[in-house]
Amino acid sequence: MTGTPDPTTSAAGDGGPDALDQFAGITADSPLGQLRAQQPAAVSAAQGSYLALLEPDDPGGVSRYEREAIALRVAVLTPSEPVADWHRERLRALGVTDAALAAIEQFPAGPALAPRETAILQHTDLLTLNPGAATAAHLAELQAAGLSPRDIVTISQLIALVSYQVRVLVGLRLLAEEA
Amino acid sequence: MSAKARPHFTMDVLRWQPWLPTVDETGATPDQAALVDKVAPSPESRPYYALLAHDAPALEQRTLLFNAVMYGHGGARRADRELAAAATSLINGCVYCTSVHARRYAQLTKDTATTQRLLDEGVETELGEHERAIVDYAVKLTRNPAALTVADLTPLRQAGFSDREIFDITQAAAMFAWANRLMQTLGEGVPRAGVAS
Repeated sequence: MTGTPDPTTSAAGDGGPDALDQFAGITADSPLGQLRAQQPAAVSAAQGSYLALLEPDDPGGVSRYEREAIALRVAVLTPSEPVADWHRERLRALGVTDAALAAIEQFPAGPALAPRETAILQHTDLLTLNPGAATAAHLAELQAAGLSPRDIVTISQLIALVSYQVRVLVGLRLLAEEA
Repeated sequence: MSAKARPHFTMDVLRWQPWLPTVDETGATPDQAALVDKVAPSPESRPYYALLAHDAPALEQRTLLFNAVMYGHGGARRADRELAAAATSLINGCVYCTSVHARRYAQLTKDTATTQRLLDEGVETELGEHERAIVDYAVKLTRNPAALTVADLTPLRQAGFSDREIFDITQAAAMFAWANRLMQTLGEGVPRAGVAS
């Protein structure tokens, strides 16, 4: 590692830090970085997906705070410590208090949340832990809480992206431990 | 995991039915329509892409990643990636994803009998050493990724997999952690009505 990752700066594609490399604590010229670099299209699109969902040009109806909260929740449930640390820091940088972080991380046992946030985190938990149990009725609950079809697509993509990232990180961790 | 009964898995071509209106129904922008035309591989799956096109930048990047992970040159054989995709989809209970990727696995390996047994009996069905190593790794990564240890790579190493091949199989299983979470929570696979098989 060349330095401490700073999750509050943009992980931009224009030479900025790559999110998966940062989570894994690897640099592009390390052995695992070079393994990833054998598939430049995968590296680019994984980062592109991260930017599209966590740093969108047009966030539409899902705020940056909500996006970070969802990503933190998936990481806490999986669990994936580096991914949770990353989104916790980004939420702090958005001005989120320790009490509000606790409400996300300890959901539903923590401090009470607004109905919309509650509906979003319930759906996050369902998709993270038991996607096979999801039904059309769950989407109706999100719509009743004020989410549009586009918002529902966005939060589903985001939960799915983080579910992807945490598993790729496990593969990188195992290969690193074996070396 | 699910309280539902084990779904009926099939290699038949299914249609994906959305639970929300797609951009085809709500009025696509020209960019959304062009993207759906570009990325939807079949009429049966078009509603899936037309729903995801509500968030076009996310769909575009997801599609680039999917194609790189599943069809990129070098590394793990395509059949091995499809097996990881099918095993992940079986564990998550995604009937549509399983139908597509079991079918592709059977086509690539020309082993319809083993593929059908995998669907009928599940991931515990008898497999060769190479296939067993892929399926067991994909199942663990699906169910409880944080619990994996370096010992879980031993069967893959004994079957001769390289770092690159293990990473490719990891990415394929992870890609279906992603795909299943969309396919089985935004709609469902249903039989094609009125289509002659």
